[in-house]
Amino acid sequence: MTDELTGPALVRDDEVTNHLRAIVAPPAAESYWAGLERRILARIERGQDQGRWWALSERAYQVGLLAAGLTLVIAGSVFLRERALERRMAYESVIETPARSQQVFARRGLVPDRQATLRAVTDH
Amino acid sequence: MTAVALPWGQAPRRAVTERPADERDLVLAAQRGERAAFSELVRRHQRRAYVVARSIVINHEDAEDAVQDGFLHAFKAIHRFLPDQAFGAWLHRIVANAALDVTRRRKVRDADELPETVASPFRDPAEGGELRRRLAEALETLPARQRSVIVLHDVEGYKHAEIGKLLDIPEGTARSDLHYARSHLRQVLGAVRSGL
Repeated sequence: MTDELTGPALVRDDEVTNHLRAIVAPPAAESYWAGLERRILARIERGQDQGRWWALSERAYQVGLLAAGLTLVIAGSVFLRERALERRMAYESVIETPARSQQVFARRGLVPDRQATLRAVTDH
Repeated sequence: MTAVALPWGQAPRRAVTERPADERDLVLAAQRGERAAFSELVRRHQRRAYVVARSIVINHEDAEDAVQDGFLHAFKAIHRFLPDQAFGAWLHRIVANAALDVTRRRKVRDADELPETVASPFRDPAEGGELRRRLAEALETLPARQRSVIVLHDVEGYKHAEIGKLLDIPEGTARSDLHYARSHLRQVLGAVRSGL
């Protein structure tokens, strides 16, 4: 057989080809092919298991992300509530002190209300 | 994908003498996840897949690894395959890529091993033949692509264009690879023949 290109190297050497055929010949036994089919399918099964493992892992990852998100939201709202409470207490502590002093002066009947307020404010 | 094939399970309704489900039906069934259909595709194509792999790798064990890898890749990618195309050609290309991967892995592995540990070819019915032994050795010294091209062309009867598609190389490259592979083997065997 010759190819389109010329030259002795491009002519197929039948003896070489016959030896090559023997070297790379696929196994002839039917049992080999039945076995190979089983091994291929088992390999696919293992591949699928790995796929499922990854899928499970991905689901777990999503659940984890969701849980982390929820935790952040809860922690954030708790933090905001705490901060609002602290502000309110600080505000009240400023507001309440003169009020209490005013009440004390007023209760004791020592001074009139307006004067008691003025004294409470100037005392601080 | 306009036609809808019968599920694999409905095949027994056909007459016994009828040909088995055609390949397109099998592919469509496999795409629906029917294992039996994919098993049938494996049964039909494993020999040819082996031949493709064996033309690329050095020994039988690597060829089998490549075939298994190839079918696994094909199984995972089957939903992307267009059923109107030739399943065999698609599969053989995947197997060829798997075989080239195996060859690359073996190169790295062999570089770390002592020369004595390099695997010998699988069974050789005429192992005593000096010519065949030297040819097997010469085949191993060929670059993987040249080895594939000469086996696919001279032994398996593939055309240059088919080899080009299979190995993802231009047809001209397949042609020149064949030229160099033949030259190399002829040189090696020339020395053996003159010595015999």
